[in-house]
Amino acid sequence: MFTDEALDSVSVRSLWRKSQQSEQESRDCQTRAVHSAEAGIQTVFTTLSCTQTEPQDQATEQLLKQNHNEPEPLGLKDFLQRVEEAVIRELVRNARSHAFDGFQVNWGDRSQLVSCLHCLQHPISQERGLHVTSVSWSCTGSVIACAYGRIDDGNWSTERSYVCMWNLDRRGLSPSQADLVIDVPTAVTALCCHPSQPALIAGGLYSGEVVVWDTSRTQDPVLALTGMSADSHREPVYQVAWLPLQKKGEFGVLSASSGGRVLVWMVDSDQGRFILNAAYALVQQQVSHSSSVSLKARGSSTVGITSLALSPWDSDTFLVGSEGGLLLRCSFSSKVPAAAPSEGQSVTLRAPAVFSFRPHSGPIHSIHCSPFHRNLFVSAGTDGLAHLHSLLQANPLLSLRVSDSYVFQVQWSPTRPLVFAAATGQGEVQIFDLGHRSLRPAATIEQRGAGQAASCLSFNCQNPHLLAVGNTDGTVGVWQLSADLTEQSPRESSQLEQIAHQVAE
Amino acid sequence: MAEVEETLKRIEAHKGVIGTIVVNAEGIPIRTNLDNSTAVQYAGLLRHLTMLARSTVRDIDPQNDLIVLRIRTKKYEIMVAPENGFLLIVIQNPCE
Repeated sequence: MFTDEALDSVSVRSLWRKSQQSEQESRDCQTRAVHSAEAGIQTVFTTLSCTQTEPQDQATEQLLKQNHNEPEPLGLKDFLQRVEEAVIRELVRNARSHAFDGFQVNWGDRSQLVSCLHCLQHPISQERGLHVTSVSWSCTGSVIACAYGRIDDGNWSTERSYVCMWNLDRRGLSPSQADLVIDVPTAVTALCCHPSQPALIAGGLYSGEVVVWDTSRTQDPVLALTGMSADSHREPVYQVAWLPLQKKGEFGVLSASSGGRVLVWMVDSDQGRFILNAAYALVQQQVSHSSSVSLKARGSSTVGITSLALSPWDSDTFLVGSEGGLLLRCSFSSKVPAAAPSEGQSVTLRAPAVFSFRPHSGPIHSIHCSPFHRNLFVSAGTDGLAHLHSLLQANPLLSLRVSDSYVFQVQWSPTRPLVFAAATGQGEVQIFDLGHRSLRPAATIEQRGAGQAASCLSFNCQNPHLLAVGNTDGTVGVWQLSADLTEQSPRESSQLEQIAHQVAE
Repeated sequence: MAEVEETLKRIEAHKGVIGTIVVNAEGIPIRTNLDNSTAVQYAGLLRHLTMLARSTVRDIDPQNDLIVLRIRTKKYEIMVAPENGFLLIVIQNPCE
């Protein structure tokens, strides 16, 4: 029936393993042996050199000059041809456009008022009743120097006076106490600060001496003094100015006195004295009269100079105004010897007068050349009028009535070509704008206190909205001008040109 | 050579033109009727401004490009025409 059976096992060969087994081969390799070698060296000679690039602008300057001779760079002609049409179209459109007529841009806060910022006084001078004879701003624009003396004194006086300086940018500014007070043995009649060195001030004294003070010295501020020598003036010095000399950066001092002399000095600071460089004398007979008014030669034949102006455009020309109302154009390079008796001077006197304008009817107190037009200047004197002259004509172009009394000083504004300010004997400062049609002043600065005159004024060239006015009661007012008196409008230069080209009738 | 000078003279003869400067790709003025230092100053300053203006225009619209850059100031107007590295600067005083 049931018996044990032995069966063979059944096996299935794995196909997976066979298929997964891939071919195998093995190889090996080896690089050939690397050759190496060693060697040593040592330097026998050494040299050192360095290079540096030249400053850029020299290269560009040279390149500019070269290219005019060489053929033009590649593509310049094509570029210009392509661009020319577009540019010319824009130029023509621009010349006809009225888009910006009268449009003024407003970048900063504009002040509308003329206001008094400071009223500076020197109590000692005020007690003695001294007048302010001259004010001058330093070249940095922060320091104002004021000279005291008398403007109405005809007699020889030996009273002491002062030169006071205030630094307006200092925080502890005290209007009644000056930062620096210099004692002067006689009255100071003229003052001028150096155009580039803030510590030097030149002054002219009533005794005829010319002084340069160096305010950086603590001990004795007097740097140089002419003293009473044969070279110096004998009459009060009414104007001093710093004159640029031939060598760039050097300045000499020019002084003019009512003795008819104009002297140019060089400052010798080591020895503390002045060396006379050139001397000019104005004598009645040598003044050329181009007008029909004949002046009889009186007793003294010298022409007393009361004001002088240097021209910023032409270093050879200067203008002189005299006590008798003569207004003359003079030249530094004139070689004509003067007909005045020489009093043992070291330099021969020359007659500088070249052209004579129509005379005023009184002493001329102030002349100033326009910083914007080479031919215009303004002059004012005791007749109460401010005359606008052109250097090319004898008659004035315009005469404006400033006040009913004397006019002591006129000065052009350093920023607006058409504006000038005049200090009057009634205490007011009138500011005129030639762009306005009317002949009335654009602004009037009235000072408190009747019966005192404004004897001098000075615009601040660094901060053009400041104007300093010195009065006969011993105070100096620093005024801030409104924006429309200091900001130039677009067409002023061309208006000034038109005024200059008018022919006086 | 003469054509270049003629073209420049035509531009300079226009009403109110004060000066012209042609600047090459390196920023050096190659033709000018102003003095050297002024020309170099204008060239250096206006080059950067023109590049900035051009990149502004192209950032806004890549298919647009700058033709002329005009700067109107109180006293005059400066016009800059850039192309291919060169710059033509014209200073005009539009006097009415």
